[in-house]
Amino acid sequence: MLKIIIPTIMLIPLTWMSKPNMIWINTTTYGLLISLISLFYLNQPSDNTLNSSLMFFSDSLSAPLLALTTWLLPLMLMASQHHLSKEPLTRKKLYISMLILLQLFLIMTFTASELIFFYILFEATLIPTLIIITRWGNQTERLNAGLYFLFYTLMGSLPLLVALLYIHNFMGSLNFLMIQYWIQPLPNSWSNIFLWLACMMAFMVKMPLYGLHLWLPKAHVEAPIAGSMVLAAVLLKLGGYGMMRITTLLNPLTNFMAYPFMMLSLWGMIMTSSICLRQTDLKSLIAYSSVSHMALVIVAVLIQTPWSYMGATALMIAHGLTSSMLFCLANSNYERIHSRTMILARGLQTLLPLMAAWWLLASLTNLALPPTINLIGELFVVMSSFSWSNITIILMGINIIITALYSLYMLITTQRGKYSHHIKNIKPSFTRENALMTLHLLPLLLLSLNPKIILGPIY
Amino acid sequence: MKPPILIIIMATIMTGTMIVMLSSHWLLIWIGFEMNMLAIIPILMKKYNPRAMEASTKYFLTQATASMLLMMGVTINLLYSGQWVVSKISNPIASIMMTTALTMKLGLSPFHFWVPEVTQGITLMSGMILLTWQKIAPMSILYQISPSINTNLLMLMALTSVLVGGWGGLNQTQLRKIMAYSSIAHMGWMAAIITYNPTMMVLNLTLYILMTLSTFMLFMLNSSTTTLSLSHMWNKFPLITSMILILMLSLGGLPPLSGFIPKWMIIQELTKNNMIIIPTLMAITALLNLYFYLRLTYSTALTMFPSTNNMKMKWQFEYTKKATLLPPLIITSTMLLPLTPMLSVLD
Repeated sequence: MLKIIIPTIMLIPLTWMSKPNMIWINTTTYGLLISLISLFYLNQPSDNTLNSSLMFFSDSLSAPLLALTTWLLPLMLMASQHHLSKEPLTRKKLYISMLILLQLFLIMTFTASELIFFYILFEATLIPTLIIITRWGNQTERLNAGLYFLFYTLMGSLPLLVALLYIHNFMGSLNFLMIQYWIQPLPNSWSNIFLWLACMMAFMVKMPLYGLHLWLPKAHVEAPIAGSMVLAAVLLKLGGYGMMRITTLLNPLTNFMAYPFMMLSLWGMIMTSSICLRQTDLKSLIAYSSVSHMALVIVAVLIQTPWSYMGATALMIAHGLTSSMLFCLANSNYERIHSRTMILARGLQTLLPLMAAWWLLASLTNLALPPTINLIGELFVVMSSFSWSNITIILMGINIIITALYSLYMLITTQRGKYSHHIKNIKPSFTRENALMTLHLLPLLLLSLNPKIILGPIY
Repeated sequence: MKPPILIIIMATIMTGTMIVMLSSHWLLIWIGFEMNMLAIIPILMKKYNPRAMEASTKYFLTQATASMLLMMGVTINLLYSGQWVVSKISNPIASIMMTTALTMKLGLSPFHFWVPEVTQGITLMSGMILLTWQKIAPMSILYQISPSINTNLLMLMALTSVLVGGWGGLNQTQLRKIMAYSSIAHMGWMAAIITYNPTMMVLNLTLYILMTLSTFMLFMLNSSTTTLSLSHMWNKFPLITSMILILMLSLGGLPPLSGFIPKWMIIQELTKNNMIIIPTLMAITALLNLYFYLRLTYSTALTMFPSTNNMKMKWQFEYTKKATLLPPLIITSTMLLPLTPMLSVLD
């Protein structure tokens, strides 16, 4: 694992010591090389007990997320070039360093083998994200957004610290590979209920669960593009990954405790999708769609069947790429008209046809069109929740319809129809932007050819 | 103040604390405390305004009362055990009196009312000495009598201190008062764990002193005592604004900075002793602390406060204030987390 971590650490001296006109090129290139290294981890043997490091390990759940994280860094750098072009050199370097630091913490989080190490890095990812949102966001609401983001997450995760230390005392070690063999069933009692809650609430807030999702629209909307990308694509998946790791310790109490959260997720899915239909702010729409997709992941993780875990993993990767791509598209709009209101820039298909193609493909993957991996994820989750309880198919079906509705609403409002007369003089698409969209879309489409890479440890 | 006099007074302060830490006879400990207190009064009164007089008077009154209470506890202990050596205190009344006296010296709740007012009335340098050096002596005595302290009393004080430190600092814009409430909260964390594992208290004290020293030195660089004057730092020392950002987050106890180490260790020790609700409550209340540190960083590092045009010239002048040992202090206050396994040297 050090062969990914040390190059990522060395990206920081690379930023600070590159020539001023080479900082973007250097970091993007070396970021892409590092993501190439992480692809080797996708080849997972079926027996994962061979491990040469005390602190890091990777299995078929963390390897795709690792590949997603390392893939995303060059994409974030490419997306940020435009809005940072007018800033002084030191501030550009600081921004890039914050992104690299965040990347480093994320890599270490996904490959941590001990749960307290995971916790420390889970919290550590908050600091660079906070700095990116509050320092480089564009509106005054970013201060409030940063506060909501930090405090919601910390409120959830401090009980997790206490719970992890309690489990450490109880079990002797928190090394994830070893605990698998020492697990005893968790009986139903008041103190175990609180233990379950303490363990899960941190990840529920991070996902986010429907009742605790207030930080997400604020943070996503106010963050600059790289912040939105990394938040939507990777930081939400930290919650899903953590939940999947820690539910191994919490059986069979999960069957009893899962009901309130299942209800909140199932209802919240529909609620947040419906809100998307009434949004005027483009980034806010994509943020709420993230909440909706993550609610599916929560449902899947709480059901704990093999199919649902496969669906959850596939959905996390697919949603990461799709959401990040949608934010890049929204940002390309924002950079031209400096407003996030959807109806201000209509009919873009006539003016920027290639960008309209990317918009079409992104919206189609968002609504889970076959045969993309979005569909595989959603389908597995729908099927497993049907087997858990037949009635959920009604809610899932309504959600799929409304998802299709708002994705097409977003597509049609921004791309089709007659263009609004004041946007005739926007700049045409940059090659950088087209490359960005391609780099998002290619993994998404190619993975539909071999989805077993992202189906997780149960496959 | 003339240098010879300053040297003598500083030497007396240090000697007083040293006597407290190194003695095994209760009378000498009381002498050390009194020496320390009397010598620090002129330091507190460096500026001749009524505010400083009021601050030093309040400090003198509380510390003298606490010393007297300590002496009474010592006498009761002498009555029941017949000896003056500092060791386990068998009599509970004496133990409670001594604990009350020492927590009064430290500024733990419910004896915390003097800390913000005294810290506000004095200069930044005196405030730094007050909040860091003056805590060492009472803490060392609490360490020595820790087997016999009444856990309920101290835990109650610790909990209320953390709450007071969190809520009290929320409405402050004066930096010295913010640091005072921060001190109350941190003392609460230290007091919570003395009876369970005194080594962690020493760890927390060391890290707290390092972080508070760094913070005060950064404030003194700019001679800023209000949030407003701190917010003009982006003009003069842009690098220091990032230092303040990291330092405030470390004070708030965010991983992966070293301010997280004491909180982690204290929560670990408390859970080992089967207390679950108390560390959860303390940890959540520490978020209140984090809020006002974060507000400081918002106004200093993460937003650019409006400033008039002639302030923008200041970056051209080199600053000549001495920042002694500032880089090592900042590094130890923020980057020590990977060295946590080395805690065993504290034993």
